[in-house]
Amino acid sequence: MEHPATPPQLSRDLLDMMARGVSVIVSACGHDLTPSVMRALGSQISASGDLVTVYLGRRPSAQLLRDVATSGRMAVVFSEPSSHRTVQLKTRRARLREARPEDAAVLQRYLLAMQQELDRIGFGPAFVSAMFAHPLDDVVAVEFTPDEAFDQTPGPRAGQALGGAVA
Amino acid sequence: MTLVDLAEVRPCLEGAIPAMMATCAADGTPNVAYLSQVFYVDERHVALSFQFFNKTRKNLLAQPRSTVLVLHPQTARFYRLQLRYLRTEDSGPVFESMKAQLAGIASHSGMAHVFRLLGADIHEVCEIERVPCDMPTPLPQAPPRCNLLGALRRGSARLAACTTLDALLDATLQTLEQDLGVAHAMVLILDPLTERLYTVASRGYATSGVGSEIPLGDGVIGVAARERTPVRIMHMTSAYLYSRALRDSLAGEGSTAISTDIPYPGLPEPHSQLAVPLLSAGRVLGVLFVESPLDLQFSFEDEDLLVTLGGQLAAGIDLMQDSAEPCPDAPGTEHTAAPAKAPAGPPLQVRHYRSNDSVFVNNAYLIKGVAGAILWKLLQDGQRQGRHEFTNRELRLDRALRLPDVADNLEARLLLLQRRLAEQCPQLRIEKTGRGCFRFDTAGPVELDDIAG
Repeated sequence: MEHPATPPQLSRDLLDMMARGVSVIVSACGHDLTPSVMRALGSQISASGDLVTVYLGRRPSAQLLRDVATSGRMAVVFSEPSSHRTVQLKTRRARLREARPEDAAVLQRYLLAMQQELDRIGFGPAFVSAMFAHPLDDVVAVEFTPDEAFDQTPGPRAGQALGGAVA
Repeated sequence: MTLVDLAEVRPCLEGAIPAMMATCAADGTPNVAYLSQVFYVDERHVALSFQFFNKTRKNLLAQPRSTVLVLHPQTARFYRLQLRYLRTEDSGPVFESMKAQLAGIASHSGMAHVFRLLGADIHEVCEIERVPCDMPTPLPQAPPRCNLLGALRRGSARLAACTTLDALLDATLQTLEQDLGVAHAMVLILDPLTERLYTVASRGYATSGVGSEIPLGDGVIGVAARERTPVRIMHMTSAYLYSRALRDSLAGEGSTAISTDIPYPGLPEPHSQLAVPLLSAGRVLGVLFVESPLDLQFSFEDEDLLVTLGGQLAAGIDLMQDSAEPCPDAPGTEHTAAPAKAPAGPPLQVRHYRSNDSVFVNNAYLIKGVAGAILWKLLQDGQRQGRHEFTNRELRLDRALRLPDVADNLEARLLLLQRRLAEQCPQLRIEKTGRGCFRFDTAGPVELDDIAG
């Protein structure tokens, strides 16, 4: 398995967007090439962008978590609904861990950010709460360092690799 | 895993919340992307919008399986659809319906400059999973809307009681207004020879627009008729506004340089539109059209209802046509003398242009085409033979009227003429006297001028 020497360079602007709390969709793939997909309950990104954590519900994401555990491969899309600005990260080295008590604050912050973000496009706080409702003991955290990043904002640049990663 | 059928998922496919699509490359690398549209085709198939040549596309062509995540816009419940890609269509009913809908989605989300439908990717729905949820949510589903099936039943009963085309159209518009709260609606009939749709009835507009025409394929109405499919737009889009620039090509012809364009009555800025083709015995007879100045007014449930009601309306239009034989007790072809009427003012000046059968009364455009030819015949027969009673059958047999041998839409043309006269020229009057027969009267003297050009 080949790995790029360095993780893709994400612009400060994109890192800020991801750190703020925007829509996060996670996908993986079974050994029979059946894709699995679910919306994340939250996300966290290190200042440099080399460590990303996404949170998934164990029950709603059962197949997805199995696929990630088996292959380590994962595709994650971060998208700001109000602007359509979208970036996709890919990794071959995703690691699962149990959610810790301190993750609860991350998830709560994320929920508030999403309530604010989705309110701008017409979805009320009750609806957004229902979208992200979960018992904490059902949450699994998936950590990874991105191997590749792609601009996926709809338009002519969509699909372009960011920061010198191999497409 | 809880398996459900596509009916439960239909509210998720209305475009309120974008869907997510996951695919895999042959080497097992996953990919996930937003989808503008997941379009309901039937209980076993959906069509996804193909807008960009991207990784998703590449993966699909190599490996047809995908998983799509959708969100219910009321309950906030997630559903996963396991799909198998079958083919891409770049024309036809599904493509055209999606294209119109996408134009609305694109302009609503500020992406009109980016979103262009390259194709409708038809996928088989292999499995639908209601994503399990541990919490006491999701939110309750919206209560069922004002009993749509009851509304359909009342409409159906109204239509079944009608004995004339006139009444049939009124019953349809009344049902839309009273039972569905639709304030703006019209019915258009297709003239298969000229490939244009003409308005025969409308409700909720400043002017009725009866007689106004739309070319087949133009705007949501023209596309619905051409493709024989419902077309529904839920947001304002300039892409499908009926353009007044498409003026009647006959208007500028030769000496008749006066406009024969009856203004289209539609809303200037519709935000929701739904056009349903009227189909009977495999033919398109016309279009039932509703619109609103507000966003998101017509759901898939309205579409289902209008398609069903439209089916009965179309069958009724056909029935009125087929059974339009003279009734036994009708005066038939009796040549009765014109009732004496006090001549009121100067004679009515009626001019007829043979080139397009357009008729002008006191220099104002009234009607053209087959309806114009019929009016001219009625006026001539009235003047030469003092006739007032006519039958549909004799009009059918009159070669000068150039009615097509099949699907002549005579009833609709007569109704159009009757309504146009009532609105624009009450001195000339058509009145149904029974099934397949009618009376034509003129109030006062008429001067006829036939122009060859």
